[in-house]
Amino acid sequence: MSADGSGPAADVVAPRRRWGELVLAAATAALGGYVLVAAGDIVVPGSTNTLGPRAFPYLVGAMLVAAGVVLVILVLTGRAGQEEGGEDVDPTVRTDWLTVGLLVAALVVHVFTINVLGWPFAAALLFAAAAVVLGARPWWRAALVGLVLGLVIQVVFGGLLGLSLPPGPLLEGVPFLRG
Amino acid sequence: MDNLAALLEGFTTVLHPVYLLYALFGVFVGTAVGVLPGIGPAMAIALLLPLTYTLEPTAAIIVFAGIYYGGMYGGSTTSILLNTPGESASIVTAIEGNKMARAGRGAAALATAAIGSFVAGTLATVALTFLAPVVARWAVQLGEPDYFALMVVAFVTVGALLGSSVPRGLAALSLGLFLGLVGTDTLTGQQRFTFGVPNLADGIDVVVVAVGLFAVGEAVYVGSRMRHGPVHVIPVEKGWRTWMRRDDWRRSWKPWLRGAAIGFPVGTIPAGGADVATFLSYASERRLAGPRRKEFGKGAIEGVAGPEAANNAAASGVLVPLLTLGLPTTATAAIIIVAFQSYGIQPGPLLLQSQSALVWALVASLYVGNLMLVVLNLPLVGMWVKVLRIPRHYLYAGILLFGALGSYALNFSPVDVLLLVVVGLVGFFMRRYGYPVAPLVVGMILGPMAEDRLRRSLAISQGDLAYLVTSPFAATAYAAIAVLLAVGLWLRRRERAQEVTTN
Repeated sequence: MSADGSGPAADVVAPRRRWGELVLAAATAALGGYVLVAAGDIVVPGSTNTLGPRAFPYLVGAMLVAAGVVLVILVLTGRAGQEEGGEDVDPTVRTDWLTVGLLVAALVVHVFTINVLGWPFAAALLFAAAAVVLGARPWWRAALVGLVLGLVIQVVFGGLLGLSLPPGPLLEGVPFLRG
Repeated sequence: MDNLAALLEGFTTVLHPVYLLYALFGVFVGTAVGVLPGIGPAMAIALLLPLTYTLEPTAAIIVFAGIYYGGMYGGSTTSILLNTPGESASIVTAIEGNKMARAGRGAAALATAAIGSFVAGTLATVALTFLAPVVARWAVQLGEPDYFALMVVAFVTVGALLGSSVPRGLAALSLGLFLGLVGTDTLTGQQRFTFGVPNLADGIDVVVVAVGLFAVGEAVYVGSRMRHGPVHVIPVEKGWRTWMRRDDWRRSWKPWLRGAAIGFPVGTIPAGGADVATFLSYASERRLAGPRRKEFGKGAIEGVAGPEAANNAAASGVLVPLLTLGLPTTATAAIIIVAFQSYGIQPGPLLLQSQSALVWALVASLYVGNLMLVVLNLPLVGMWVKVLRIPRHYLYAGILLFGALGSYALNFSPVDVLLLVVVGLVGFFMRRYGYPVAPLVVGMILGPMAEDRLRRSLAISQGDLAYLVTSPFAATAYAAIAVLLAVGLWLRRRERAQEVTTN
């Protein structure tokens, strides 16, 4: 939402970037097309006298298609979007896809470890992995910070505020970890 | 006089020691999170939602009021002491305040922002106190088509104005409307777009979407292009003597009042929120500066005092349509609606009657929070500077962690966290290609309400579409869309031109 770019970023756009943007615009239109088709399958009960459950989906689908098509045209004619700025965003570097992939991987691992390891350890894992991916060195300090953070949140939210975060098999039965 | 009595009642609630502590806690956490770079007020509230899950509604609302004002406020510290802005609302503050800080006048910039926020925030809260009941009383008479018209106004202005590109805003809005469709249709009980997945029958949780877009999307986006190396925070001189000189006071008080006068009304209408208000204030201060105009762009204190005041006044103004019509006009307001809904409270014209005690406690806590902020923040600047220096890898790892916690704590189901990751990826791509995320959240929240109103309207009129535009209010609202759009887009163009000349 910030509009701080007064030009430089837009000028050095690599042609590769257009592809991703084109895909996003086309995906918007495609989603709209899907919504239009799928809306026809929504069951309309006989009791509906005027506007049934299909009308609004048709409207939304049409809006998606319209916006998507306009955006495809805009991208093809070279009017690319202005990516968001921010304090910690370096407008001169190119997207580091490896970081994106690893951060997503860390989150997915977190999802599947909550019930296995317990929340505090899954949280420590997520924090440490994300911090190291983002450049924290040495790794064991990040791991330590993550472990402390996970346990503190468990005690404060699980123990004091009564949020039922699963402490996991290792900490099962420790009284102050559960609300 | 009813209102004042109710407000006094609100104060007696808030001044209860336990609630005062909650207010202090909210203000403190809100400021701390708001000071953190990359975290605007919308993300602050989304991230801190889980903190309040276990609180009773009054305490939660008081904490939220504190977080709301604190988050708005903390952003100014960030933009003055770091060289690039965080929330869009403080961009113009960054121009002047940052220049002031570089010239060794950082303390004065922080002080005028703090005191200006307090003055304007308090004035705007007074205005809210008197305006909200009037609007609510009037809003009770609105019919279904009138509400639908209001929501269309909100859709169009939010979609077109909350971002730098109109078609991208509308794409984001439509995507939000689609996400709002997923689930069981309230009027007929039919499932829509659930793909047969039972988890989706109740719809997608707005909290997951908001946290995913604001927290995860932002963290991944920043991670993809992170500025490495040490963080440069401009040092602030110590001691009370340097805060504000007599001359600074003389130059600040008029911009504060003007900022309040500009910010509050702009906040109440759906025209782009605090962003527009700060810009308008900046432009008018520049015009009124006379011989000082050449100082603008080099560190004019008026250029900090006015926009900061306008920013906070607009934050209160936004609460008027939010509390009385249930109409969110900014991303932050949309998240506040989510917070209310998680307590089963639906903001709208009846809120002031049905939840009168709660609403007035909220308003009272705005007064109290404002006072706490100005008292707390000036002396604590040293601490906020330390917060600003937090290593970025820990900061964004922490944002991911709290985002995951927030969505997990909704139902204690890892599936929600998986959904969060997916939404976060969408948020990443939207940021990367310049799609604003705020319209998506607003669309998702308002979409189902708008559909409901539309279908009720047409049920009343037995399918006659003309019924939608025949009431005077609805007709006016549709006409207003054209005016709001024209003015809003014109302002935006001016704003961009201004940015180019000042950069």
